[in-house]
Order: sequence, then C-alpha cells, then structure tokens
Amino acid sequence: MRLKLISCEVLFREMCDACAHSPHQVDPEFLPKGLHDLGGKPMAKKVQEAVDRTPEGVFEAILLGYGLCGNGLDGLTARHTRLVLPRAHDCIALLMGSRERYQRYFERNPGTFYRSTGWLERGKGLQQLTHDTRGFDESLEALIRKYGEDNGRYLYQEMTRYRSHYRKLTFIETGLEAGGKFIAEAAAEAQENGWSFERLPGDLAWLRRLVEGDWAEAEFVVALPGQRIMASYDNGVLRVQA
Amino acid sequence: MPDLKKLHEAVIEGNWKAAAAVTEAAIAEGVAPLTIVTGYLVPAMDEVGRRFECEEYFVPEMLLSARAMKASMEIVRPLLKATGAEPVGRVVIGTVKGDLHDIGKNLVASMLEGGGFEVIDLGADVAPERFIEAAATRNAGLVALSALLTVTMTSMKTTIDAFQAAGLRGKVKIMVGGAPVTQQYADAIGADGYSESAAAAVALARKLVAV
Repeated sequence: MRLKLISCEVLFREMCDACAHSPHQVDPEFLPKGLHDLGGKPMAKKVQEAVDRTPEGVFEAILLGYGLCGNGLDGLTARHTRLVLPRAHDCIALLMGSRERYQRYFERNPGTFYRSTGWLERGKGLQQLTHDTRGFDESLEALIRKYGEDNGRYLYQEMTRYRSHYRKLTFIETGLEAGGKFIAEAAAEAQENGWSFERLPGDLAWLRRLVEGDWAEAEFVVALPGQRIMASYDNGVLRVQA
Repeated sequence: MPDLKKLHEAVIEGNWKAAAAVTEAAIAEGVAPLTIVTGYLVPAMDEVGRRFECEEYFVPEMLLSARAMKASMEIVRPLLKATGAEPVGRVVIGTVKGDLHDIGKNLVASMLEGGGFEVIDLGADVAPERFIEAAATRNAGLVALSALLTVTMTSMKTTIDAFQAAGLRGKVKIMVGGAPVTQQYADAIGADGYSESAAAAVALARKLVAV
C-alpha cells in the first residue's frame, strides 16, 4: 500500500523508525508541536487542513500520528481517502504502547510529568501560540521587566507553582535515544524541579501497527470518506460518525 | 469622597496597592461594602473577562487583575459578613481527581469571588467525596468542576454519580469547564451547565443560582 502519514513532530523519531520498518510505502508529514496549545477547535482546523491538502487517488489511507490530543482530532472528516487514528488520548499512550497501560500508569502515578525524545528536542523556541499559554515560559527577569518588580515576582510565583504539584518526571524510553543525552537532559530537568525521576520502557508496537496497516477495531478508528472521527467519552476514546 | 472609578481602574490595570488604598478610603468615608463589590469589583472583573475573550488580556493580566480584586475583597469581606449580606451564591470549586491543573480553575474562582460569590476552593486532584463534604457542610448550592485532560474528564462523571449515590444530586447545581470539556460531554454526564471561558462561567453561575 502507499500510505500518507500526518503526525505530530513530537513523535518524529518514533514515527520515522516505524515507517522505515513498514512493508508499505509511507509518506510522512510532520506538523508542529504545540498545536494542542491552540485548543481543540483551532488544532482540529489545522489538522483538517493538512488532511485536505492530501491529493486524491494517491494513497490508500491517511494515517494520523496523534491521539485525541485534547480534542484536537475531534471532528476530523475523511474526504476522498480513509483516515486511521489510534484510540489514544494522547501521544503518551502511543509511546507506552496501549491505552490500558497508560490509564493504569496515569492512575498509579499522579503528578507525573512525561518526557520522550520529541518532548525534549522538538518545538524549542516555539512562539507562544495562544493567549492561553502566553507568559508560562517566561523567566522571572522577563516578567519583572514587563510587569515591574512586585507584580513580576507574583506572576512568576503563580505561574510556576504547578511545578510543585508534580512529583515525578517519567522519561519514556523507546530504544531510539542515541547516546545518553536524552536521559541526562530529562534527569537534569527532574532534579531542577525537585521531582523524582523514572525511566519507563516504552513500546513502539502500536505505532508500528499503524504504519503496517494492522488496524484492529480495538486499537484504531477508521473513518471512510465522508465519515467523521469524534470523541466518544468512553473507554474506546474515539468513534466514527457517518 | 474617594473616586471609586479609581478602584475600577486599579482592578483593570492589576494594581493591587491602589485597589486596597481606594477601598480603605471608601470604607472610611462610609461607602457600603456591597456597593464596592457590585458597583465596582463585579463590573471591573466582567471587563477583564471581556478583554481576555478578545485576546487583549492574557493569563498574566488576568492574574494581576484578580490579585487587585482580591486585595479589595480582603478589606470588604469581613465587613460584608458583619452586615449579614448574603453572597450571590456559595460555590465549591475544584479540579477533579487525577488532574493537577489549576490556573484556569483559580481564575474562575477569582472571577466568581469578584462576581459576588462565596467561593470554597478545594484545589486540585479533588476526590468526589471531598466535593460532597464541602457542598454539604458549607451549604453550597453550586459545584464547579474543572479538568484539563481528556484522560481525567471521566472524574467529572464519577463526581456527579457520587452526588447521586449520596442522595445529594438534587441539592446542588453542578457546572463543568476546562479546555477539553464540551457542551456535549456536559449533557452526556448530566451536568447542569458548561461554560467555555472564565467570564462565561460567572454568567452561568449567576444563572444557575437564580433558578
């Protein structure tokens, strides 16, 4: 089969690895990290635009390297080519290899900040895309410059307090981490924030099944031309609407 | 007579010191505490919400306005209590179990307070039992649930079901909000309302307590 892959760049290394091993010809396209910062509807619009740019009659399916991603994939409509999307809340589930594993880990490890290769190296220097996230990555000095000493300090305190709500940084290891730089960077981030650090073995099998055309109903939604992918608000995460 | 328009300005501009100073002066001059809230704080926070909607204000500006509003409320609150003035409503607010995100929820809490509500903020990662206990013991007619992840949204359903199981569902109105939440989801889980923004949350809260 010839397949088109539209994926978040956070999964860049993992997707390239999966594509390289696929028996099919996969044409990948990566969209910027941070689309989910725009919020569900604006992100959905951007992803739909990417789908709509895909030429007709060339591919047997358009694969999506995403999960529901904060409703960023909610409402995605298949035009002339069917769409395939993993039944995942987000990329962390994909990297862990199953939504059940993610659910279990998430519930047992509240206050966990997740990192992977893409979460560390992609999207650096990203412009703040939306008024919902403006200010969150600013340094104390920048906030003081903008808002004065008193208000600047107050804002820094308020906007970084979430860090104390997290207890652990979990780095999801997939074996694609060349050298030790990713582990070192993740460990340093954990230490900087006073969090504990865990290396969790990931599992790329789910991503591989996406690009290998192994789309079991329990793991993927497939939207035929004219159908829409929607959040289902149940364990299956997604459903298809005619 | 202190120029109370300066209080309105101080909130809009996020100047907590000015807000406190004008409030003190106003109280000393005999301005009614309720007037300060309904005449100046409420409209000021409504305006702040509007500016956020139009993307003139961002989260930092809202936080600073909330800070200024709270500085004024610190002075006014005990006086309001003393006059026996009832708040517009009593609301228990929190981010649901499993979810640690709270900035949005904090902004809504601030705006509700600025809107004349008594706010009982339970923080983040709040189990259903804690919502129930707070609503019951503090006689709150409104419960506001926040979630930022589709993974934790299910806790909203669990919380509503828990109120049902405890026989208290009829005693409270439950509203939901947070980035991934939709009207559709709110309807599916039996919430009484959904709001898309902090400003809309205040309007919804007012509607729900008026019924």
